[in-house]
Amino acid sequence: MDERTEPVTAERERAPVIEPGYTFGSVTDKISSIVLTRPTSNGWFFGFGLAFLLTMMMLYAIGYLCVRGTGIWGVTIPIGWGFAIVNFVWWIGIGHAGTLISAILLLLRQSWRNSINRFAEAMTLFAVASAGIFPLIHVGRPWLAYWLFPYPNTMKVWPQFRSPLIWDVFAVSTYATISLLFWFIGLIPDLATLRDRSTNHASRIIYGILAMGWRGSARHWHRYETAYLLLAGLATPLVLSVHTVVSFDFAIGIVPGWHTTIFPPYFVAGAIYSGFAMVLMLSIPIRKIFQLEDFITERHLQNSAKVMLATGLIVAYGYIIEGFMGWYSGNRYDGFTLWNRLHGPYAFFYYMLLICNIVIPQVLWIPRLRSSPIWLFLVSGVVLVGMWLERFIIVVVSLHRDFLTSSWGMYYPTRWDWMTYIGTIGMFLAAMFLFVRVLPMISIFEMRTLLPEAEVKE
Amino acid sequence: MRRAGTYGFMAEFDSPTSLVAAAHRVQQAGYRKVDAYSPFPIEGLAEAVGFHRDEMPLVVLIGGLIGGITGYAMQYWMSVISYPINVGGKPYHSWPAFIIVTFEMTILFAGISAVLGMLALNGLPMPYHPVFNVPRFAFATKDRFFLIVFSSDPKYSSIETRRFLESLSPRSIAEVPD
Amino acid sequence: MSPARVDNLDLMAPPIIRTIGRRSLVVGLIFAALSLIGAFIRPDQFFRAYLLSFMAWLGVCLGSMAILMLRHLTKGGWGMIIRRILGAAMRTLPLLALLFIPIFLGLPKLYIWARPLDSISDQHLREHLQQVTQSYLSVSGFAIRAVIYFVIWGGLIFFLTRWSSEQDHPSARDNSTRFKALSGPGLVLYGFTISFAAIDWVMSIDPSWISTIYGLSFLIGEVLSALCFAVVVERILFRYKPMSELLKPDYVHDHGKLMLAFIMVWAYFAFSQWLIIWAGNLPDEITWYMRRLNGGWGYVGLFLVLFHFAVPFVFLLSRPFKRDVTRLVWLAIWIMLMRYLDLYWMIEPNFSQKLSVTWADVVVPFAVGGLWLGYFFHNLASKPLVPAYDVSANEVLEPVHD
Repeated sequence: MDERTEPVTAERERAPVIEPGYTFGSVTDKISSIVLTRPTSNGWFFGFGLAFLLTMMMLYAIGYLCVRGTGIWGVTIPIGWGFAIVNFVWWIGIGHAGTLISAILLLLRQSWRNSINRFAEAMTLFAVASAGIFPLIHVGRPWLAYWLFPYPNTMKVWPQFRSPLIWDVFAVSTYATISLLFWFIGLIPDLATLRDRSTNHASRIIYGILAMGWRGSARHWHRYETAYLLLAGLATPLVLSVHTVVSFDFAIGIVPGWHTTIFPPYFVAGAIYSGFAMVLMLSIPIRKIFQLEDFITERHLQNSAKVMLATGLIVAYGYIIEGFMGWYSGNRYDGFTLWNRLHGPYAFFYYMLLICNIVIPQVLWIPRLRSSPIWLFLVSGVVLVGMWLERFIIVVVSLHRDFLTSSWGMYYPTRWDWMTYIGTIGMFLAAMFLFVRVLPMISIFEMRTLLPEAEVKE
Repeated sequence: MRRAGTYGFMAEFDSPTSLVAAAHRVQQAGYRKVDAYSPFPIEGLAEAVGFHRDEMPLVVLIGGLIGGITGYAMQYWMSVISYPINVGGKPYHSWPAFIIVTFEMTILFAGISAVLGMLALNGLPMPYHPVFNVPRFAFATKDRFFLIVFSSDPKYSSIETRRFLESLSPRSIAEVPD
Repeated sequence: MSPARVDNLDLMAPPIIRTIGRRSLVVGLIFAALSLIGAFIRPDQFFRAYLLSFMAWLGVCLGSMAILMLRHLTKGGWGMIIRRILGAAMRTLPLLALLFIPIFLGLPKLYIWARPLDSISDQHLREHLQQVTQSYLSVSGFAIRAVIYFVIWGGLIFFLTRWSSEQDHPSARDNSTRFKALSGPGLVLYGFTISFAAIDWVMSIDPSWISTIYGLSFLIGEVLSALCFAVVVERILFRYKPMSELLKPDYVHDHGKLMLAFIMVWAYFAFSQWLIIWAGNLPDEITWYMRRLNGGWGYVGLFLVLFHFAVPFVFLLSRPFKRDVTRLVWLAIWIMLMRYLDLYWMIEPNFSQKLSVTWADVVVPFAVGGLWLGYFFHNLASKPLVPAYDVSANEVLEPVHD
């Protein structure tokens, strides 16, 4: 007789990654039917239409910008960076969670990722696209943005490689390329499934072309898996490097409030923090609308909440160390930056930032709230606002009071700033709407591997 | 002996377990030109159909090295030889600053090599392939598992091979037309 | 798993562990006696080396605590197999608290802020100290904060140890929820306390220099040295029962992967700090590197880049290497030496413009290390190597060849 008391562990109470009762066939049908047979609802048309209108608004704002120049924005001297850079950093940070889920969790053998990695990767791509717009239009003459790249030219000049801004060009374009490849590689087997399942001739041809003749040969799978793992191994340091390079955009300069060595890990943590907030904000309605609660279970929500809690604490650590060092160093400029954040004209936003990023998310310590979709949705919204404010504080508050009081100024965004910013949210959502309509938003083949029958018994 | 018009014999199975077992039996029976198809990757299946050398890591390593060397050499040439300008009193050859782009180029080249290498070694894209002629093969991307013995196998014989595959108790057997 | 299996399998450490412990203690005592003599002849050299040795071994102790809490949060066989090694290492904290006391005797020798202000010739530094010293860097503040750090660490270790001991008995209740509830906040506490301790004890040797990433660099260094230490002990135990039957290549593989990850994080922090300070080139900051790149110290820095990062990185990319504990152990020992060298490179250039190695740099680490190892092996021998009645121990207790 076993003397040990039957343990009731948290482990056993934990929600499963996939609800029981599914087979290879039913998983395939359930996910592919969303794309192939489910009628497009009015809600989809309404949502997509709204997002599309916002995208048009963005294009209008950008068009007007091309005609009139960046003077239509709120940027002035000394605040030359304004909304464009705030939004760039915000968006690119959001993108990071997708790569984290698809690459890092794959390397850590966290199989729960399999049901959220596909749309998290899509989110990455669209977030990077939204982010990429801002530096391009911020250069003033967007039609000459290709000057950022080193190419042989009649002026016989080359980019200046000691500048973090050129590092950013390489980091972001590499990130966009690798994310796209990673996403596409992941899609190939599922595109083959759609090719074989679709009843409509045109869609069969389109999916067939995209699937490139994938037939699931054992040899192909072997190389495929190796390539996928290697890509994950490459994407992991890449994703850390991207936000590190973004942090260098600030830290390499000697502006008080920017020039501090903790920026790289602190930016990376903040990026993952806001990225998981976006993952939750998207997955909570999606699992409800498309009845995917069996695949995106409470476990996914709990784990995402835990990642948010951990990264949020690293961000809090960053604030505290930065504040402490500002005082401890005895450096009057660092000291003034700290004082200006707490008492300057933008102090309200700094306190809001502390509340949104540090105070409110502490509710995630409570296990019950970590499984509550409503709470998680709300906290994620708060974190997204908080992380936007953080970038606003870093960009605007560090710049607006220059070393000489005669150069002090204030930053007020104009309606064109807001139209561009809200427009990119519209573009992001429009792309997400299209994605869930035409591509499987959950990786079908990786879901199959989660089923108990997928195991080879000796 | 390859029979004109036949690409091989294909057997259909229900589960990954029976497919792997069948693949081992086919290997033991001495067939060498075989392949298996499954809707998701199955550990050990590639080895069971006689696949041993995966060149992917080497391809990616070479790609990464080329990327890194290109990245550093490009920056060195542009900043030191072609267009040397003094920025902030930093040396022309500012190696700490060059590390970032070198790193990004390494990742970029390695990643592209991983994708293109995988596609090239797998012979993709391949719009036409004889196995697609079998109607039931459409289930290979859903919930069925297939094993094929190619007619190019020296041991292949239209009668013997069929009989042998039947002894594995598959769900169905089909002759794959070329 | 039936309870009979647990009884059959003797989970206590082999007797050799006590022998190693005794020998370490003897070595420690001999070197401690030598150090003591040296301390009277050259107290300045002694105290630098003493601080260095203390920080190095404290790192193994606290890093073990951090990895243990990480294990409680993430689970996995890799952590269960080294759990009691980490536990024994962290239970050496009382000794380290005791060993901290001599640092107080050498405060003015180590820290410029502990000297009378009038004795400081540098006007700029004196003004700076007048601003900071009185409020933060003072002897009493230093002492109070040290007590706070040790109390927090001691509290965490106390509960981690106590709950773990309960799991050696068949009637154990399941402690994993309690462990989890402690480990989350525990890691947060560790992160903050070690950062501020690093500022107090090492960074403040140069009171006018700051780097906000310093605490994190220190933290990852401690975790890395603790992991390497666990691999070394794991290798010793692997020669004997029961570990020879329990240690699977998969666990070693995970340890190798963690080593790779920690080395990369260490390099990432170190490079970020260097690049930001190099590019900014501000006189307040760059002087720290000027000292560490001139007068022969630059060679040490280069050596660290190559042998704390580049070479171990290449080795750890190899899968067979990571899975074989008999090979991995050599790298683990090497990295522990590199951790010591890294700390040396952080501390010693504060005192000496030119690269110099004194007698104390060689003797004192053996004194502290010998005593520490004696205590560690005593701890290791006093408990079973796996808490057999922990629910998640089953996975580990399956023998390798079933």
